[in-house]
Amino acid sequence: MNFNMIKRLIFKDWYLQRVLIPLSLLGGAAALATILYGGRPGFILGLILLITVLVTTSAMLTMNMTVLERKEQTLPFVMSLPISYRDYTAAKLLGILGSFLVPWSLFMVASFTILALAPTHSQGLIPYVAIMGTEILVSTSLITAVGLITESQGWAITAMMIGNVALNAFGYLVAHLDGVSRYMFGPVARWTPLAAGLLFAECATIALMLGGTFLVQSRKKDFL
Amino acid sequence: MNAVAMHDESAVHFEGVSKRYPHFALENINLDLPTGGIMGFIGANGAGKSTTIRILMGLVHQDEGAVRVLGRRMPDQQAAAKLDIGFVSEDMRLYGALSLRWHMEFVRSIFPRWDQPYAEELLRRFDLKPQQKIKGLSHGQRVKAALLLALARRPRLLVLDEPTTGLDPVARHEVLAELMAVLADEDRTILFSSHNTLDVEQISDQITFIDRGRIIDSDDKEIFLDRWRRLRLQLPPDGAVPKLPGVIDVGGSGRLPVLTTNRFEPAMVYACNELGATVQAVDTMTLEEIFVANVHSNRTQVEREEVTV
Repeated sequence: MNFNMIKRLIFKDWYLQRVLIPLSLLGGAAALATILYGGRPGFILGLILLITVLVTTSAMLTMNMTVLERKEQTLPFVMSLPISYRDYTAAKLLGILGSFLVPWSLFMVASFTILALAPTHSQGLIPYVAIMGTEILVSTSLITAVGLITESQGWAITAMMIGNVALNAFGYLVAHLDGVSRYMFGPVARWTPLAAGLLFAECATIALMLGGTFLVQSRKKDFL
Repeated sequence: MNAVAMHDESAVHFEGVSKRYPHFALENINLDLPTGGIMGFIGANGAGKSTTIRILMGLVHQDEGAVRVLGRRMPDQQAAAKLDIGFVSEDMRLYGALSLRWHMEFVRSIFPRWDQPYAEELLRRFDLKPQQKIKGLSHGQRVKAALLLALARRPRLLVLDEPTTGLDPVARHEVLAELMAVLADEDRTILFSSHNTLDVEQISDQITFIDRGRIIDSDDKEIFLDRWRRLRLQLPPDGAVPKLPGVIDVGGSGRLPVLTTNRFEPAMVYACNELGATVQAVDTMTLEEIFVANVHSNRTQVEREEVTV
């Protein structure tokens, strides 16, 4: 693996997305402000806005950094550089994840801080927010995997739709699971075996999807 | 010279390379391009030029056969090989939202042999403005920009896949003129693919024809032009067309047949006369005429073989 080239490709992609990341941070900040100062209706509205910002950022980053390269025919230029398929795939996976983890981490930390310090004593929500935040990462990994492997806009959009529907269904399901819902509105965060298990399963799914993508891409015989 | 020594001198070496798709197959490609050589790679659309070049660049894996480029095994050692290759293809685009200057800086940061004074000189020659965004450039300017990025890295091997396709005559002339200037460097090897034989004829010293996934002929350009001729004959009444070795096509009509040969020798004229035919003219052929005749002859032969089987 050519780590120097992987680094250059990641920085190249980040430079290309230099407008999107600050915009997402701005949107996220607005959502957090709504949560903080909007009272009870603002809390719900801000939460929806925050999830929307994260989902939109995830979709745009993955589409721009995977499918668009082929659609806009810049892939031959990139592949004319001294890199192998594996270098390219590693750069894409790390680039997408790295750029998405910036707003994601900031929003997660900010959300936990708000929940921990809020006078409403909503710390019980922390496990649920962590599980749902990680589910957005699962969805991002799914779109990245499909976008990189198929290089098709149609399939990437399908993955995006599946990811979004799954996010909503998963959110509803988890909120009704006894191991999560029982302590959700309590004053203290309770990491039940079920909540911890769900979080672990999500992390394992992410690792499997990204590892699988790397493996499939490494075995590809036609790259252009 | 033994085979190993020949490979060492080759910038590009294909040996028995095949690649099969559901509706197209590249079959048993053998190709040798010596260091410093300029090969024109000619084929109709869909003949297999781009697939061959993608295999050369390591972007498509061959199903069978071996490929060595600048002494590196492809596709396994493509990253190291591409450090010395400048590649421009007709379907290559640069990032539209970014400027040419950004692209120059990006490529410069990767290739240690990047020649900045030469890049600046190419900017002037191609009349390109480095601060301009790529999306604001015309097609001709985009090709020139891609060529600049490939040339200024001072590659040992320049691979050009239909770079002049879609260019207006002025832009085409400028691009070809720059390529002619590059040829002054005797150590640089160039593979130039096109379906435009005029472009290839101007700059190449070796010609390879590909059709339907097979190399149908490959030789030095001068030898190609020397050995292909059209003989315009006049036959006596009731005279038959003389049967000569190397005649691949008989055209014309009645007593005025036209023979196309790929193995012309002056002795053929005497042989015709001795067989009772009068040679009215021996016409040289353009590369385009040679290419078309070669393709037709090859296709006819393949069809005959298929019927026999």
